[in-house]
Amino acid sequence: MTGARRNPQSPSMYSYIVRRLVFGGLTVLGVSIVVFAVLRILPGDPLVAIFGAEGFTKLSEAERARYMADLGLSDPLVVQYFHWLGDIVRGDFGRSFFRAESVADMLLRRGPLTAEIALIAVVLSWIVGIPVAIISALRPNSLGDNVSRFFSILFLAIPGFWFGMLIVLACLFWFGYRAPMAGASLFANPWDNLQIVIGPAVVLGLGQAAYIARMARSSLLEVVREDYVRTARAKGLPGRLVISLHALPNALLPVITLSGILIGFVLAGSIPIERAFATPGLGFAMYIAVYERDVFVMQNLVFLYSIIFVMLNILIDVTIAWLDPRIRYR
Amino acid sequence: MTATDPDTVLPLDPAIAAARAIEPPRWRRFGRGLRNFVRRSPLSAFWGCIAALIILVAVAAPELAPYPPLKSDFRAMTKPPAAPHYFGTDQIGRDTLSRVIYGSRASLAVAMGAVLFGTTLGALWGLASGYFGGRFDLISQRIIEFLQSFPDLILAMAIAMALGAGFGTVIVAIAITRIPFGGRVIRAVVLSLKEMSYVEAARGLGASHMRMMLRHILPQCIAPYLILATTHLGVAIIIEASLGFLGVGIPPPTPTWGNMLADSLNAGLVPPWWLVLFPGCAITLTVLAFSLLGDGIRDLVDPRLRGAVSVVRGGKSAAI
Repeated sequence: MTGARRNPQSPSMYSYIVRRLVFGGLTVLGVSIVVFAVLRILPGDPLVAIFGAEGFTKLSEAERARYMADLGLSDPLVVQYFHWLGDIVRGDFGRSFFRAESVADMLLRRGPLTAEIALIAVVLSWIVGIPVAIISALRPNSLGDNVSRFFSILFLAIPGFWFGMLIVLACLFWFGYRAPMAGASLFANPWDNLQIVIGPAVVLGLGQAAYIARMARSSLLEVVREDYVRTARAKGLPGRLVISLHALPNALLPVITLSGILIGFVLAGSIPIERAFATPGLGFAMYIAVYERDVFVMQNLVFLYSIIFVMLNILIDVTIAWLDPRIRYR
Repeated sequence: MTATDPDTVLPLDPAIAAARAIEPPRWRRFGRGLRNFVRRSPLSAFWGCIAALIILVAVAAPELAPYPPLKSDFRAMTKPPAAPHYFGTDQIGRDTLSRVIYGSRASLAVAMGAVLFGTTLGALWGLASGYFGGRFDLISQRIIEFLQSFPDLILAMAIAMALGAGFGTVIVAIAITRIPFGGRVIRAVVLSLKEMSYVEAARGLGASHMRMMLRHILPQCIAPYLILATTHLGVAIIIEASLGFLGVGIPPPTPTWGNMLADSLNAGLVPPWWLVLFPGCAITLTVLAFSLLGDGIRDLVDPRLRGAVSVVRGGKSAAI
């Protein structure tokens, strides 16, 4: 670092956070344009997307015009875009074309389940991934290392939703057990809630753990070669302490970054996995929206997922900048 | 810096001429490289063979499949694996083995198409933005970051849904999600290459931008590209299967592994195990083969890339 600044860390940290937030805001704006472009402009005619090609041809001219006007689709695209953004800002996420329920209600009802699944999955991925990586990195190319590497590659290759289907099938086949289908909130009915959440969370968590273990292993192996680790060894610290006190904290930085990226993996992965488990969460709602070609619900959910993704990544970036001062000075 | 000396400016770079004179023909070099690969990492070579075998199965599907994939046998509906139908049959009597074999065609074609368009387009974009730098690079980076603000399956779902299901749309949808990865990795490689003295020498000799990019920088990007392409082939196969499973992939009568898994959920309250097990095994085996092959190539070509490509695989590159 040339001319290392030694001023107290708070000002540069603030400016870093502000910079990240401004950039995040711009990203969200860009994302909104992309979402709008993909789901409103690309299909040519949204009615085709809603009714399907055959259904569309059965509609008469007048009906088409009426539907377009009802949905606010006859306005110029720019007007539609700002209408949509305005609705989102006011917290009006619109309603499904096929169901009475508004998207906001759906979020409130289904969102918590998916959030729980995501949270458990992330925690689980760290609990499983990091110890596996440590075992791997302590003795590279040993039996333990090879076994754990094999499993992490295997879990990268197994599609999560298929793994979920197998679990559901095995439970039904051998125990005649099926998780409750109706949504149950954490506070009202914790036992049912756990049964619903645990399957998707484990599948998502193990899938992520594979990424985390791979990343943490290679990062640990790199850090272990550093001088300060050699110094720690030379002064007679036992291997376990060298790893846990000296190597691990530095090796974890890229893993935290990866964890932020994996949030996307959790958000997106939960869609097919929730379908496989028939979990009444937001991912399943997304599947239904896709299945029914419900463009408006889809548009809002995709936007929402992307906002969550961007926000959490800003949080991760700030955390890393807080942990690693070198980043702030860029 | 003799290269910038006007006396040594020759029509053909002397170093290249000398290298050409002692270099064995290309096919022999390739053979030697292949032998080297098998010796250095037999396991990756094994998985390479599996990958080749899967491609062969896809190409020779009509010869290998015991039944036509769409033919219903109404006397054998939802039959477990037994003599004439070794992988069982589905709810309308179609042979699962034949459908799994034919499914490899759709999966591989979509994945290869997506990687060929997406990763390649991204790589070329990364080459240009890394090489030219400046404002073009800045704008390119922002666009790529926007593209990466979507979890890739969600972006692919939205695009596939908007364009309407079909073979071409699925390829386009997956290809678009692959662009940022190619762009970022190749850009990083190009940025480090630009500082190399041979590139500087070529610039000193007055090579045009086009010549510098195609002749001096592009060849060095082939190895990272190859690694990226093989790894992303696996990712693309999983995305394709997920799209099929969610009903926005290639439309149903065509057998794809994702469609078969989605179909199995309609086969009764308890999906028959053979309809779930075999397509999933096919996906896992294929993805495993391609990603291990990619890992093997990476270890062979450049162990230093280990970090770069594996991070990028999960999402953004490490350049945050």
